[in-house]
Amino acid sequence: MKKYFREISVAAALGILLLALAIFAPSFFQPQPLLSLVTREAPTLVVACGMALVIICRQIDISVGSQFAVCSVCAGLLAAMHWPLALVLVASILIGATFGAFNGALVAGLGLPSIVVTLATMVTWREGLRWLRQGVWVDLPNGVQWFGLPQMTGQWTLVLVALVILILLALALKHFAIGRFIYAVGSDVEAARLAGIRPRLMTFGVFVFMGALTGLAAMMNTIQSPQVDPNSGTGLELKTIAAVVVGGVAISGGRGTLLGVFAGLLLLACISPALTHLHVEAFWGKVIQGAIILLAVVADGLRNRKQRN
Amino acid sequence: MDTDKHGFKTVLLRHETILFAVLAAEWIFFDAIGQNFGTYDNTCDILRHSCEIGLLALAMTPIILTGGIDLSVGSLLGLCAILFGKFWRDAGMPVPLAAACTIGVGALAGGLNASLIAWLRLPPLIVTLGTFSLFRGLAEAITHGVDTFTDFPASFLFLGQERWLGIPAQALVFIAAAIFFWLLVHRTTFGRSFRAIGFSPEGARYAGIPVGRRVAMVYVLAGIISAIAAIIYTARLGQAKADAGTGYELFAITAVVLGGTSIFGGVGSIHGTLLGVAAIAVLHSGIAHALLPGEMAGMLTGVLLILALAGSILPKTISDLRARKAALKIPKQTA
Amino acid sequence: MKQLLQLSAVTKSFGAVRALKDISFDLRAGEVHALLGENGAGKSTLIKIITGAHPPDGGTIEIKGVRAEKLSPAIAHKLGIACIYQQPALFPDLTVAENIGLRLERANSLSRVDWKKRRQRAGELLRRIGAEISPDAEIRSLSMPEQQLVEIACALGAGARIVIMDEPTASLTEKETGLLFAIIRDLRASGAGVIYISHRLEEIFQFADRVTVLRDGESVGTCSVKDTNETTLIKLMVGREISQIFPLAESTPGEAVLSLKNLGCAGGGVKNVSFDIRAGEILGLAGLVGAGRTELARTIFGITPADAGEIFLRGENIEINSPQAAVARGIAYVPEDRRRHGVILEMPIAQNMTMAIHRRIFPGTWLRFGVERACALDFIRQLDVRAYGPEAPGHSLSGGNQQKVSLARWLATKPKVLILDEPTQGVDVGAKSEIHKIIRRLAKDGLAVLMISSDLPEILGMSDRIAVMRGGTIAAMLPGKSAAHDVMSAALGQKGGAG
Repeated sequence: MKKYFREISVAAALGILLLALAIFAPSFFQPQPLLSLVTREAPTLVVACGMALVIICRQIDISVGSQFAVCSVCAGLLAAMHWPLALVLVASILIGATFGAFNGALVAGLGLPSIVVTLATMVTWREGLRWLRQGVWVDLPNGVQWFGLPQMTGQWTLVLVALVILILLALALKHFAIGRFIYAVGSDVEAARLAGIRPRLMTFGVFVFMGALTGLAAMMNTIQSPQVDPNSGTGLELKTIAAVVVGGVAISGGRGTLLGVFAGLLLLACISPALTHLHVEAFWGKVIQGAIILLAVVADGLRNRKQRN
Repeated sequence: MDTDKHGFKTVLLRHETILFAVLAAEWIFFDAIGQNFGTYDNTCDILRHSCEIGLLALAMTPIILTGGIDLSVGSLLGLCAILFGKFWRDAGMPVPLAAACTIGVGALAGGLNASLIAWLRLPPLIVTLGTFSLFRGLAEAITHGVDTFTDFPASFLFLGQERWLGIPAQALVFIAAAIFFWLLVHRTTFGRSFRAIGFSPEGARYAGIPVGRRVAMVYVLAGIISAIAAIIYTARLGQAKADAGTGYELFAITAVVLGGTSIFGGVGSIHGTLLGVAAIAVLHSGIAHALLPGEMAGMLTGVLLILALAGSILPKTISDLRARKAALKIPKQTA
Repeated sequence: MKQLLQLSAVTKSFGAVRALKDISFDLRAGEVHALLGENGAGKSTLIKIITGAHPPDGGTIEIKGVRAEKLSPAIAHKLGIACIYQQPALFPDLTVAENIGLRLERANSLSRVDWKKRRQRAGELLRRIGAEISPDAEIRSLSMPEQQLVEIACALGAGARIVIMDEPTASLTEKETGLLFAIIRDLRASGAGVIYISHRLEEIFQFADRVTVLRDGESVGTCSVKDTNETTLIKLMVGREISQIFPLAESTPGEAVLSLKNLGCAGGGVKNVSFDIRAGEILGLAGLVGAGRTELARTIFGITPADAGEIFLRGENIEINSPQAAVARGIAYVPEDRRRHGVILEMPIAQNMTMAIHRRIFPGTWLRFGVERACALDFIRQLDVRAYGPEAPGHSLSGGNQQKVSLARWLATKPKVLILDEPTQGVDVGAKSEIHKIIRRLAKDGLAVLMISSDLPEILGMSDRIAVMRGGTIAAMLPGKSAAHDVMSAALGQKGGAG
């Protein structure tokens, strides 16, 4: 189907990669490490979903990494104070949503460009966190890691949660009016206004939602280890933007699917472990990531050029 | 873009004046509360440490003037730094030759950005995001993540660590670059065309300006400057590592926007950028000398950036809101 | 028959320009009412008032007998007024079904999208208008005519009772035109009213019931289509006396400076254009909106380079594939859209004026502010540009003065060929006369001038020869002293003239 060309090509690239691994490095396919890999990437998937919404809406958010770190540390601290985990989760989401609201207010309310706003908030939150924590890790009490469940159960739970969120969001984007409004605003703001949609409210909402998802992802990450690293989330923005762009979401907004984002994230996430198993140095991972982003955007550009002519 | 240039000019002038006032206030404040802050030695130190970011900010200004952006300059600095080390150590080139080759690589890398952005007309944000990853990855891959280059000859380290004519040696390079960019942006037809392209790429085209060539120029220049900054960085630290320049692009962009250059293009100045670099550098040094936590500098920089942005856009937002209340828009139609 | 719409004594001015003077207009249920008039006669303004985009300065609007106090696009939409413009306001990345859905559904965020119903409704509407467009097609992949059909489907779906069509067939093919006519007939049969703006007289005579002619913001006649003929209508359209005095031509044209042979540009719709422009002559390029005049200018100037035919400059075969190439050859183009292409609004006048002559007055790329200022002051004086100084930004000027700055920019290049696209559009009468004198003086000095204009008196008064474009090619080449009637007929594609 021409409509899902991008999603299919990314899935195909992933398939080829897995095939190559199956032939040259079958050690990749051990269940436990694979499960760990997927679990580690589960929070990234959640954030990537939020990033997809932001980019479809023709904005960008490069502060997610810092938001993630702050939410992780806050969640850890609250858990260390023996708050019930459900409350900790809610708190993490609310903190993330607050950050998102701040971004959204500046972008939607004042009309400031999102790249610079989120650049400023990224630096501010990150430095603020470093100041308060001084790089000290947060020790989590017993029973927090994996919700106190055995590791495998915990891992599957997280993966399931991420997938459920992915599916729910994909459904909402496709089948609920509010999801379609996001596409509309990203495609043509004026036409959206004329159709009775309120673009600024939508933009604000998208940023808040992004923050909330980041808070959720932070919680999902926190419970994976007995300690919280205040430097978690480094590079998260690049990773998620890359996954989103590779997955077919256009930076100009208005198009793309979460399915593509999922495929893009899987592809990018598999690169570094694949390199390890193929005995290639891990550093080539960044090179490949960069090359894939460039390829994706060149493909988009060529496709647009053809259509405009 | 119906911005009031005269009004904008007023704001900009106000902006630069305010920034200068902020800078002066910073200086006075930190001199008072800090130890050894306002000394000549420390001033030289500030100058020394801000050269690399300053160079990147200088190169970033014309890019943002054309309405573009370059997120890859920091990574390119890292790549050029280790390539410089490799040319000198492993290829056995004398330092000047290694430097020349490094600059050549910088130009090529800038050319990669330029061809994708100017020829294929791809969005600068994503292209440079890709090269951001690519360049850093190449730097790490070439050095296998661990290799560093040290033991440079003293004559080379002079550039980064000693003084010449009383000021840090690299400051002379920076001053030369600042003069070059100031002249380019404010006194040549190139600078004029950058602004025109930033305000209205179509309008510039209809005026006969070779938009593609001009846009390509600013990205190639950025590549060359990144290479020069990499050489200075290496001379200052005495070693070249793959992580050189991490985060520098963000500082550069912050300095440029702080200095009054509009992220939408067209409006901006080199002297504004220099003030922005100075404000950030003095802030960082002042906070260190006042024995305040270093992170405060980062936070304050972020806050300053938001205030600067909000301040510059507020007049437009208000007039937009007024205009929207008054008129009702309908789709375009032919007469 | 009930009156769907009644406008009485409606006036509208934009600043000093009186766009509509005391207009009365009515639309009956079940009728197709054609609206005819030259470019600039006031048709667009009238439509904007009916759709609520602009409030009238005076007069009343009644919809179905009820007076409409405050009309806005949203209220107009509710009252069943729909307008189909030439530039559709659609979402390029979404499908046809979604576009129709988003426009017609009420914006309730939490509701579930019924894709089946959407596709069904879109399919139904598209079938009703006979368009062979798939509801799943992306708008971006549709041609302009197809997008327009989607807009028509939207209007139909909205159950509009007053449907305004602004030059709907301008870019449609024969088949699509046939579909459109069927739709119009259906609308009429269902009791809706259609206001049909078009220059194609044959269409008007085919299915319109009544026709109103606008001229200079006034309604000069409304009659039943049965009771009139083409000649009468054309006379009404152009019937003003050409009382403006234009500067006389003082020299005879010399040799051909620019020769076009079978010039074509597929992207711009320009086909097979051939003519010469001679030194010292003003060649007027007439035609209706959409005839391809600006597209031709853009092809000659290199914005959308030609893919067929040849261009000769003083006998030399040249290739122009960019504006720089054109400028280097001495070809200048003063664009039609002065706000987007003619002047960079945020930059000062002086900088705008010198933007095309950097090579000449700034040797070595060094800016010379003194030279620039002197050049600007010179042109400000020459063209009488009203501004507070050469440093005034473009947007602080009135439209007419912006036009003068745009003109100055290109005069500064000392061109061999000057293409003017609507040079006096939006310029006040006094300034118009000045500009005309300047153009005539330039021609006298040996410049070859191609003047695109929709202002018939201007074309007739200024041109030494008149080329009339229609459908992307040259329909007729007329002498300068032609009758307005002949020019209009050629532009409309009518055979024969009043002689």
